Amino acid sequence: MSDEKRRTVRIDEEIVHAIETHLKELGAGSVEEYVEAVLRARLLAEGFLAPYSLEEEREVERRLRDLGYLD
Amino acid sequence: MKKLAVIGLDCADPHLVENFLPELPTFGELIRGGSFARLRSVDPPITVPAWMCMFTGKDPGELGVYGFRNRADYSYHRLQVATSARFRAPAVWDELARRGIKSILLGIPGTYPPKPVRGLLVAGFLAPDTHSTFTYPASLKEKVAGWVGEYLLDVRNFRTQDKVWLIGEVHRLTEQRFALARKLVTEEDWDFFAMVDMGPDRIHHGLWAHHDPGHPKHDPESPFRDAIRDYYRFLDRKLGELLSVLPGGTQVLVVSDHGVQPMQGGIGINEWLIREGYLVLKEYPEEPTRLGELIERGLVDWSRTVAWGEGGYYGRVFLNVRGREPQGTVPPERYEEVRTELSQRLVAIPDEEGRPIGTRALRPQELYQEVNGIAPDLIVYFGDLRWRSIGTVGWRRIHFHENDTGPDDANHAPHGILIAHPGLDGRSDMSILEVRDLILALMGDGR
Repeated sequence: MSDEKRRTVRIDEEIVHAIETHLKELGAGSVEEYVEAVLRARLLAEGFLAPYSLEEEREVERRLRDLGYLD
Repeated sequence: MKKLAVIGLDCADPHLVENFLPELPTFGELIRGGSFARLRSVDPPITVPAWMCMFTGKDPGELGVYGFRNRADYSYHRLQVATSARFRAPAVWDELARRGIKSILLGIPGTYPPKPVRGLLVAGFLAPDTHSTFTYPASLKEKVAGWVGEYLLDVRNFRTQDKVWLIGEVHRLTEQRFALARKLVTEEDWDFFAMVDMGPDRIHHGLWAHHDPGHPKHDPESPFRDAIRDYYRFLDRKLGELLSVLPGGTQVLVVSDHGVQPMQGGIGINEWLIREGYLVLKEYPEEPTRLGELIERGLVDWSRTVAWGEGGYYGRVFLNVRGREPQGTVPPERYEEVRTELSQRLVAIPDEEGRPIGTRALRPQELYQEVNGIAPDLIVYFGDLRWRSIGTVGWRRIHFHENDTGPDDANHAPHGILIAHPGLDGRSDMSILEVRDLILALMGDGR
């Protein structure tokens, strides 16, 4: 994602420190990457963020139809 | 640290593995030195939800996921593709993470969009494209591209008569999936590795008639009669290459989510419902049209409709219940009576010669521990899954010997495989729902 589509959020130093300390166990390359992934998953689970754009969902459904799972 | 690798082969079938075994040295070695069991899938035995049922130990009812698309609410038109957000039960890798065990997950259906894991995740074919964030962490995607080029989500344009092209594409998919697996297990840190290759499923659906003398469209002279056998030999080599780079002492499980059987034909589920007066259209289409499209265009007369269906490898029937659906017609007190009547009549649909085909109509409440989300009122296996459910309407007939979405020779069978090396306790049959606990037991606390 380009920098123009990013905004700055302030996070408690303690949290940032904990992520930095455990980056390897958390599987992420940076604090930003981890925070973004956690927030994305949470928002998806709540239904506040869509997993697909309308166009993407149509493409996935087309593919599933093509594969025979749907008709 | 103990290591365990689950190598998932979508649709790998126990009979095929047994039949081809003399030509499959890697499978042979695993089975001789380990164990081989049939793995009973869930109902329905379909990629989604079956793989996530395996990795959560929960049945589709508990997960509230009954197929690739599920009703989002009781409206007539809202169906949602099952993404990772629908799978709320913790997967085995979540439990392993609590024990401090790192996982690498590759191509598992139901993992897009990727949730954070203790380790790495490359999502499966439900990612819309490779521009999407299909890995965790997001930066892993660049590494993947550096290792294998553009990540192949699946075989594109699967419904083709160009079998030479299709065979090449399936081989290419498997080649890359295993190449990526080798990179991940050798370059990255892990204790638990799980992958799924869709190749076996795609080759079965695309070429089963060429392989199986019992298939109604089989041509013994087909130049592609050995395509599936050749693919399994290729798969055996890829499996061998992956095993050769796993650390010594790794516990290996080779599993599949379901098996395969010949598709004899199709039953037009909505055509039948229309003919019998359960589904009423305001206007019958001039040409074959998806029911979903007719619903969107307002062409279903819901005030006179009792039930409608969804097609696919299995059928789903929804009753139009008063107080539940927006224009429900079935009084709640008659729900069971109508469901029973429909079930009995669906089961009795014969082939075009009037012969029984052995259809089963299943009630979610009898199949599952719980029924969450919005389940179909009936899950229908036409011909016990030897016949497909055709959902489109406009054909003016019930029976089909071609697929409404293009050539397809196979349907799913309820048993997949579980090969373990070192071997398990000698059981020849296991349930897919036991795999999660098996993994946890084999991993122990990871030490």
